[in-house]
Amino acid sequence: MPGKNNKAGDKLKKKGRTPYKKGDGMSALLFLSPTLVVFSTFILFPVIFSFYLSFQKWNMFSSETTFVGLDNYIRMFQSEEFWQVLKNTAIYTFGTIPLNMGFSLMVAYALNKKVIGKKFLRTAFFAPVIISPVAAAVIWRWLYDPNFGLINWFIGLFGISPINWLNDPTAAMFALIIMGVWKTFGYNMVLFSAGLQGIPETYYEAALIDGAGKWTRFWKITIPLLSPTTFFIMVMSMIGSFQVFDIVYVLTSGGPLGSTKVLVFYVYEHAFKFFEMGYASAVSYVLFAILFIFTMLQMKYMKSKVLGN
Amino acid sequence: MKAVLKKIVLLTIASLLFFSCGNKQQQSSGKTVVVFWHSFVSSTVPALNELIARFEKEHPNIEIKAQYVPTGDALIQKLVTAIQSKSAPDISWIHSDFMEDLVKADAIYKIRDFSEGKNGISKEDMADIYPSLLQYASWRGTLYSMPMEATNLALLYNKDMFQKAGLDPNHPPRDWNELHEYAKKLTLDINGDGKNDQTGMFLPVYPAAGPLSAWMVWQWLPYLWQAGGDVITNDQSKVLYNDPAGVQALKLWQDMYNELHLSTFTSDYDVAFASRHLAMAMDGPWNLPRYNDILKNLNWAFAPLPAGPNKQATIVGGEYLAIFKQSQHPDAAWEFVKWMTKPEVQAFWAMKSGYLPIRHAVKNVPEFQEYLNKNPNFKVFVDQMEVGVAQKSIDYGGLQITRHIAEAIEKSTVGKMDVKKALDESADKSNRLLSSYSKK
Repeated sequence: MPGKNNKAGDKLKKKGRTPYKKGDGMSALLFLSPTLVVFSTFILFPVIFSFYLSFQKWNMFSSETTFVGLDNYIRMFQSEEFWQVLKNTAIYTFGTIPLNMGFSLMVAYALNKKVIGKKFLRTAFFAPVIISPVAAAVIWRWLYDPNFGLINWFIGLFGISPINWLNDPTAAMFALIIMGVWKTFGYNMVLFSAGLQGIPETYYEAALIDGAGKWTRFWKITIPLLSPTTFFIMVMSMIGSFQVFDIVYVLTSGGPLGSTKVLVFYVYEHAFKFFEMGYASAVSYVLFAILFIFTMLQMKYMKSKVLGN
Repeated sequence: MKAVLKKIVLLTIASLLFFSCGNKQQQSSGKTVVVFWHSFVSSTVPALNELIARFEKEHPNIEIKAQYVPTGDALIQKLVTAIQSKSAPDISWIHSDFMEDLVKADAIYKIRDFSEGKNGISKEDMADIYPSLLQYASWRGTLYSMPMEATNLALLYNKDMFQKAGLDPNHPPRDWNELHEYAKKLTLDINGDGKNDQTGMFLPVYPAAGPLSAWMVWQWLPYLWQAGGDVITNDQSKVLYNDPAGVQALKLWQDMYNELHLSTFTSDYDVAFASRHLAMAMDGPWNLPRYNDILKNLNWAFAPLPAGPNKQATIVGGEYLAIFKQSQHPDAAWEFVKWMTKPEVQAFWAMKSGYLPIRHAVKNVPEFQEYLNKNPNFKVFVDQMEVGVAQKSIDYGGLQITRHIAEAIEKSTVGKMDVKKALDESADKSNRLLSSYSKK
């Protein structure tokens, strides 16, 4: 409605500001330029350059690169290790996401009630997100220690014999998933908390009057009204866990027997250990493609289930 | 408009300048500044400072600027960036594994051109340097770097534990059988809870993809040589580490690893040794200054590595200095590299740092002889140089081949895979890689 816009313009004029006029774009650019420079130097250029590199062979020492066409991609799809690494990444991702989301929703829901020390608890649950991954790995190495670890002592109470968490190919991935959930669920908990606070109390009151029980209220009101948050968290977690690197590097270094080697670790290895920059770039772009397709699929098939669309 | 554009351009340039701090090498007080990158452990730094002070006293016109980069991995990554941004140091430590890439990129000088040049090193002096070191410092038969110091591996053991287990503390294990047997005897579960309270011998098994994988291979190679094996053929056409000798050497590791339950041995070996939880481990001379300090109330000693079924051997390593083509004063840099090889400098450096001298003649320096008599542990290392073997520098794909060996070690120890099978799988990978290079 044009009239409305004019009104807004009038309002601005009264306040001594003028609506948009010619030349404003330029000064906007001027103010943005430092950010733009940093962004293009450290993000835009590397992204484009690495796409170019994925068709090249380059060891980073020499100044020239050699064009190899699709060789890097062919080599990748023929490499057994690549598929193993992709499988490990998928196990990690689909292992962490359900645990992570279930746990963070549970905690957020509990902290949404009147609990003593709510603020403290919320901070405590969020703390792992901020802790440096290296420090966290040191803590978890102790927890997982086969001889003196707290975790083995704990499962010992239930009569389970000690597990060699970080040196057993089947247990190591599990150990990594547990640490990954612990380290990231706090962030999702905060998002869920915000989502829960956005649900008007009146809905619950109305449901109470209609005689709905606790579970009914949760399933029929909380879950549907949280769906936009849930959807957002799901997409972000998928992207985040597919790109897990730091905790793998510090906790298991991809071992034992390569059972925890994930995609980004594989990229790092080829880029900075073997100096095969072209190959590493190709793997990065495949990772990008996988995430892009996943996100698109989520958008397509889950959006319909999200309220407000 | 134009004014605004001008401002944008200016701002952009300003911010670009802000983000590109160059590494300009300045001439301070008319001296030639030579920048030297290294990864010496912190306990060696005081010795290095003394060494540099001595050099600068003898060469008043040259100033050495030593810059520390933690870990060899980080050093090579930093070198890559430096080469690309034209800010490489004059001298740096380099690892033979990267020689291939550095040479192909035309990043380093041939040391041969200096050593055989006007201000070179005489043939006699060259012949005095341990040949294994020079072999490792070369790439395809050409000398590209110069050893600065040598290291090798010996066996560290706790004499009191030997005594307690009824073994002669002055008779460390001399061969594989004794090593194996002693390691089992020294592994004890004192309180009977099913966990070892004392471990007989530590084997450095680490994730093959992790930062310590090359370190693990480095410590396994002596066993391969002791069994009479080798990594690669002389013409570098195929790997040999899966021969019967390799199988024998890895079988020893596999048996010991599983019998001593080393998969649950999680502490750092030096901490475990210092706290009396470990009886034997392999270690290098660079830790001697530290051990003399922290193991005061322990009765410990070093012994040569036990001999294998074929011969006695240890691995010789060391740090190698290369001069970069981006250096503006290659001659001043060479002056330092050359000076490092002098017997009296080598003796001084060995006594201060705990590293081993790179040449025989050092043994004729009187102070050094005295030092050896006072430090029997250090003498073990120096004497072992005579049976020291250096890794053959692999011309192509050395990094990957090292990784393949690491994978075989991990598969057979942690993964309990059949030794022959693990080695064959790895050797297949290595051979495929080598044949892909030979086709080019």
